[in-house]
Amino acid sequence: MSENETALLERCRDGDKDAFGFVVKKYAGRASGAACLLLGCPHEALDASQEAFVRAWRNIRRFNTASPFYPWYSAILRNVCKSRLRRRARRRTVALTDGHGDSSSNSDPVLLAERNERRDALWRGVMKLSDPFREIILMKHFQEMSYKGIAAALGIPIGTVMSRLHSARRALRETLAGEVS
Amino acid sequence: MSCNEFNRMAGAYLDGELPEEERRRFEEHLASCDACRTELAELKRLTEDLNMMRFKEPGDEELQRYWAGVYNRLERGIGWILLSAGAILTLCYGAFKIIEEMIRDPAVSVILKVGVCALIAGLVVLFVSLLRERLVVRKVDRYSREVER
Repeated sequence: MSENETALLERCRDGDKDAFGFVVKKYAGRASGAACLLLGCPHEALDASQEAFVRAWRNIRRFNTASPFYPWYSAILRNVCKSRLRRRARRRTVALTDGHGDSSSNSDPVLLAERNERRDALWRGVMKLSDPFREIILMKHFQEMSYKGIAAALGIPIGTVMSRLHSARRALRETLAGEVS
Repeated sequence: MSCNEFNRMAGAYLDGELPEEERRRFEEHLASCDACRTELAELKRLTEDLNMMRFKEPGDEELQRYWAGVYNRLERGIGWILLSAGAILTLCYGAFKIIEEMIRDPAVSVILKVGVCALIAGLVVLFVSLLRERLVVRKVDRYSREVER
């Protein structure tokens, strides 16, 4: 973590909203993308990631500024998204095909940088995976977390991380193969 | 090592997460099995593609809108707290005054007075019970722990 960010986070802890603005802008893209992968809906992702920033601000005094901001924020974001998914399930709406948009908008890879045909197809494939599979793909490939880190974040053994990632990648390959044929 | 076992470990191998001993067994099998080599090459392509994927960085205007959305919520949060506190105080005071007058009024029947008192007592019991439940849940709430992490 850069000294600059530590100083910004110290200012946030002192109640400086402008400093928090810099932090929010730095991570907005990554946060919206992560929320989109967790929720399967770009529109709701924007709202959820903003809600998570608000929660982060309210709890900023409990944050240790010596540690990096994003992993702490992403734990909050994950909880916000989980609550929304639970609410969605309670409302008996079907994830990924509910009233937030049709499946084409959900699989829109507009959140990706350096797009090409292969990556767009890959993104659509990832979006078709089940919630736990999308989550583990997000952690491993987009957030570059180690198996140990994923295990700690999800509260599961490393062996389960390995098998879940294996299943997620296999499902993704099958989805991509289905798209090609 | 069987091909099934190999397939299960292939992802961890590519991620550099296999312990030394398993890695050695994995590579031994890899050297002797053409089908598994092909399988690993395909998986490698997929993981490399996934590793190359990044989220787009929003433009300045988008970022400004995004931050404005967060900022408005922060401000509204304070507004909601003040509004709720004000509403609770006003309603409680109003309710207290109405009930006080009703109890002092000899024209109001005793049954109604008892009914209103029971209603208030019930509300207080329910409120305390819910509050206690919330406090207990808070102690074991994963979200609070993760926020502290």
